[in-house]
Amino acid sequence: MKQSLLLSYRCLTVFAAHYRQAPIQASAILVGIILAVTLLIGIKATNENAINSYSQATELLSHRASVYINPAIDADIDEQVYFALSQAGINSLPVLEGVATGPNGQGWQVTGNDIVAALSVETAPKQTIQTSQHNTVLFQHDIPLSQLLAGYPAIIMSQSLADRVSPSRIASLNQTDLNVIAISDDAGLGNAILGDLSLVQTLLNKPSRLSYIAVYPTFDTQSKTSLIKQVNQALVNANIDISQLSIQADDDGASLSALTDSFHLNLKAMGMLSFLVGLFIAYNGVRYSLMKRQSLCVQLMQQGVTRNSLIISLAVELVVLVMIGTALGFIVGLQLSQWLQPMVALTLEQLYGARLAPGIWHWQWLFEALSLTLSAAFFACIPMIHSLTRTPLAQASYKQPQGQRYRALHKKQFNIGLILLITSCTLFAFTTQYQYSLMLLGGVTVAIPLMLPRLLSFLMTAIEQINLTGLAQYAIAEARQIIAPLSLAMMAMLLAICANISMNTLVGSFEVTLKNWLESRLHADLYIRPGSEKMTDLSVFLKQHDNISGVYSQWTADAHIRQADQTQPIAISLVSRDLESLKTTTALKDKTANFWPEFTRGKQVMISEPLAIKNGFKLGDNINIDKIASTLTVGAIYFDYGNPMGEAIISDTLWLQSSLPPTPISLAVDYNGELTDLENQLSQSFGLSSSAMYSQQKIKAEAITIFKRTFSITLVLNSLTLIVAAIGLFSAATMLTQSRLAPLARLYSLGVSRKQLQLMALAQMLIMVLLTCVIAMPMGALLGYLVINKVTLQAFGWSIAMVWDWASYLQVVFISVISCMLAVALPLYWQTRKPLISSLQQEAL
Amino acid sequence: MSPLNRLSMILVLTTLLLVSGCNQAPEAPQSMGKIMGSSAEGYTEVVQGKKLTFPLDHQAHNDFKQEWWYLTANLTTESGEPLGIQWTQFRIALSAPKNTQEQTLLSPNQWQTNQLYTAHAALTSTHSHQIAQNWSRGHPQLAYTHTEPFTVALKNWQWRSKSNQMFPATLSVDTKDFAYQLTLISDTEFQLQGDQGYSIKSADNSVASYYYSQPFIKVTGSITRNGKQQNVQGDAWLDREWSSQFLTKSQQGWDWFSLRLNEQQTLMIFQLRGTAENPAFYSARLMNKDGTGRNINSRDNPNDISMTPITWTQTALGKHPTEWQINIESEQISLHTKALNPQSDMALSIAYWEGPIYFTGTHQGNGYMELTGYH
Repeated sequence: MKQSLLLSYRCLTVFAAHYRQAPIQASAILVGIILAVTLLIGIKATNENAINSYSQATELLSHRASVYINPAIDADIDEQVYFALSQAGINSLPVLEGVATGPNGQGWQVTGNDIVAALSVETAPKQTIQTSQHNTVLFQHDIPLSQLLAGYPAIIMSQSLADRVSPSRIASLNQTDLNVIAISDDAGLGNAILGDLSLVQTLLNKPSRLSYIAVYPTFDTQSKTSLIKQVNQALVNANIDISQLSIQADDDGASLSALTDSFHLNLKAMGMLSFLVGLFIAYNGVRYSLMKRQSLCVQLMQQGVTRNSLIISLAVELVVLVMIGTALGFIVGLQLSQWLQPMVALTLEQLYGARLAPGIWHWQWLFEALSLTLSAAFFACIPMIHSLTRTPLAQASYKQPQGQRYRALHKKQFNIGLILLITSCTLFAFTTQYQYSLMLLGGVTVAIPLMLPRLLSFLMTAIEQINLTGLAQYAIAEARQIIAPLSLAMMAMLLAICANISMNTLVGSFEVTLKNWLESRLHADLYIRPGSEKMTDLSVFLKQHDNISGVYSQWTADAHIRQADQTQPIAISLVSRDLESLKTTTALKDKTANFWPEFTRGKQVMISEPLAIKNGFKLGDNINIDKIASTLTVGAIYFDYGNPMGEAIISDTLWLQSSLPPTPISLAVDYNGELTDLENQLSQSFGLSSSAMYSQQKIKAEAITIFKRTFSITLVLNSLTLIVAAIGLFSAATMLTQSRLAPLARLYSLGVSRKQLQLMALAQMLIMVLLTCVIAMPMGALLGYLVINKVTLQAFGWSIAMVWDWASYLQVVFISVISCMLAVALPLYWQTRKPLISSLQQEAL
Repeated sequence: MSPLNRLSMILVLTTLLLVSGCNQAPEAPQSMGKIMGSSAEGYTEVVQGKKLTFPLDHQAHNDFKQEWWYLTANLTTESGEPLGIQWTQFRIALSAPKNTQEQTLLSPNQWQTNQLYTAHAALTSTHSHQIAQNWSRGHPQLAYTHTEPFTVALKNWQWRSKSNQMFPATLSVDTKDFAYQLTLISDTEFQLQGDQGYSIKSADNSVASYYYSQPFIKVTGSITRNGKQQNVQGDAWLDREWSSQFLTKSQQGWDWFSLRLNEQQTLMIFQLRGTAENPAFYSARLMNKDGTGRNINSRDNPNDISMTPITWTQTALGKHPTEWQINIESEQISLHTKALNPQSDMALSIAYWEGPIYFTGTHQGNGYMELTGYH
């Protein structure tokens, strides 16, 4: 045993010497591992941080509340509710949220709270005498309380947001110039803009109003139910009508996690794909370095090193490389996540209203990455190491004919890939859950590259059929030979191109769908949300206005669908509009034969596509909505994009018959004339801020912006994957340089000029890349089809018509070709530049 | 009572509030000097000879930098268990009233304020010492004073009278761990400390405050601890103080006592502990139920007062002298005081020791003690 360990150690010193001679081999392996782990950790950190934020999310500058008081019917609640709670000794925090308009018409979400209450809320476990100071949190951040409490125009942002949006530290919102106070990112403001209530109520033109009240336990062990009871009692004692309020326990981020699940899963899938691409490169590196050491290993065995010792030493080498690579990748990955997080944060904030806490990371991730990489490395490399040490001793250091072996291997790979592809595609027909669809998508993703080497050979053979002469013929014939050494790098490249094409298809298709949908959905010129107190006067005014040809109303309320099987009720927004608006603007996916009359009679309901898909509702199903007395039948399913909440629409007659607030939440008007005139008129007569009025154009622009942000992270990851693949190709081409020196030297001595040689080498690579692109196009389209019609449909509930965006495919191909050419230019230059004598000497070696 | 501690607390609070990078502020003498030099500016100054008028001066003086309403009580339960109760409401002005800011305010609302309120509460028995703190901005529904009926309130911690006078009143405090609801009755005159309420807080006359007390208050009511309510009765002591100045650095440690000598007479006594350069400064006022009293201090009567620690107790906050010998020669007063609960740390935003005491010697009775600056 000791003897064999000693031998292994000797082997390791020999290998170390080998890597000192050929550092490029070691670095190729390391680069692969680093890239794989970087992307894995980068996305993991980003995801975990976001998910963690949901359950940790606190009130701005404060703690997480136990109970929330929201308006049940109106858009907001009276601040008297807060005073009643405070006077009853219930720890609470008043919050007002709203959108303020920046100088260029952009809307900014602004939050106002009582800064003193926020900073001094006590939720920590009981203070013992040993904790010498508490409540000092009031002074933990550099917050100029005196300015804020006095209502001076000043708002607080995290340092990073302030640097991004207001380097001048002056912001203009709703035509008010505001000082921007930047505080440390550690305060957890994320991308929020916070002000004291004294300012924000005025800024948002909501005097004495609150959006919600966060309530904290009155004593340490108080349960949420007991707190709700106490709140109810306190409000009843203060003569406050609690039927206007919705008092609910905090759900520890469960609803937000549920909403964002699919988003994170998609991100995770992208991460795994990038990891896979990175591993291809590492694997290629290992394979190449083993190939180069084949003779060395045989020599070692000839000198008495046992096979076991050799295997152990090769395994140890792999472990060491994986450990170094993982550690480096871990560090770079955390950095990458720092860079990705603002992007993810924006998406989550805009789409789901989630706020992200400052970054966190765990050592555990390192160990996870390490074990994942190690197992992947062993799984991939042990057969190789094993077969290497099985090489007959007599074969000595002569090169064995490898072509035969590769052909067999590629054939096997092709068959496995084909079976996997067919199986996955067949199973797709049966999946209804996006989690399974994603797994199948993984199957397709693995199948495609497996089939690549043989497909490339086929295509090369096809090209050979063309009558080529001389050097061209030689070039093609030789290109076939380099398929094998480059196959892994090309596989990675194929994956990256496929991913790019499929994501481009998804994004492009979604954009078209969304635009069309918005076009049909938005019919009126101006949408107004004035707040319930102004609604009556406003609708009278609008109806009497000469230039207004139509006024449409919309009602909304939070509601729940009760499930027959007693499971958690489904939270939805219940909506109603006047019949004309509904008929003209609702894009129906499917409806029953007699839908509109039944709907008008209040017997049927239409539900949004996401609600139908996520909960398996079909036409003809009966549903119970808690706010509606009668059971309704699903009569139609309509398209609804970008809305994370499920929605159900009932007729206005049914709405007004039910015990739902009769005042509409918003109005829409058709206006003949200059829209800004009407807006000015409304803001002067009714004090409506620009954030209460949305023109059709403004809504469209914002929807498209949100949409673009939602996918920006995906596109960035795609580009990263492509970059990783290009780096892989670079390292493969660099390693190939060595083995190609001799044939090139031979050609040179046969009279081919150096320039011709360079051109030939470049052309060979170009052909390989172009052929890969040719294969990638249908495969990418297939992936795109599956992503759109299976994964996105199931995960988000959005039907998207697939659009072939040829321009963007060509762009991807062009970018791929350029990046590949850049990646191989340097190694090619090295190949053709070396002194010919030494290259010819290679031949002899 | 213990104006010095209040002052120090306010000093630290306001420093924290005004200096950016506030966590380091108290340790940074340079920035503190700056604040001390400039921040009293714009506030009303404490001047000698100003006549205090009641009930007007029971209300908040928002033009002064800091202010407090402060009550301690020595109570007994129906079963005879001795207890101590403390309630203090502080007001801190965040900016001077005449402070001209360049920025303009948006339209006014009730949330706008330059006043910050905080309150401390404690319930002490021989075996337990429970404390709590509350914060709020000045706001007519959250933290405020009110003329009629006279009210000092911070959310649900409220002193509420039936008239524009301070007494009779109810004081109710409800915290996570304990609660009390007391009825306070007093029919004696307020005692103006120092020179008709102008109270000097340093030997060199450089720091002063307006300060009056009501040392004769009868208390009945109930306390709740560990979820159990008990009836209590006893005596309480009120201090009122407001000013705009900070303490000098030499005044960082003091020992303060309120003592009920008998039904007719009470004693307020404190020392500013000395340093190598400055000898200790002693000050006392003997107060009679008829409203008269006598001031004694170590500047005018150098060796009349002596205060000697007898026993020291290690608490979480530091080593504190919890047993004292207090003598005033000219009044033939010689008292030996002991803490009811030597572990009476007030570990709040400002840490100090404060709790009920009892004493023997020439007189027997109870009172309160406050110790600051021990580490």
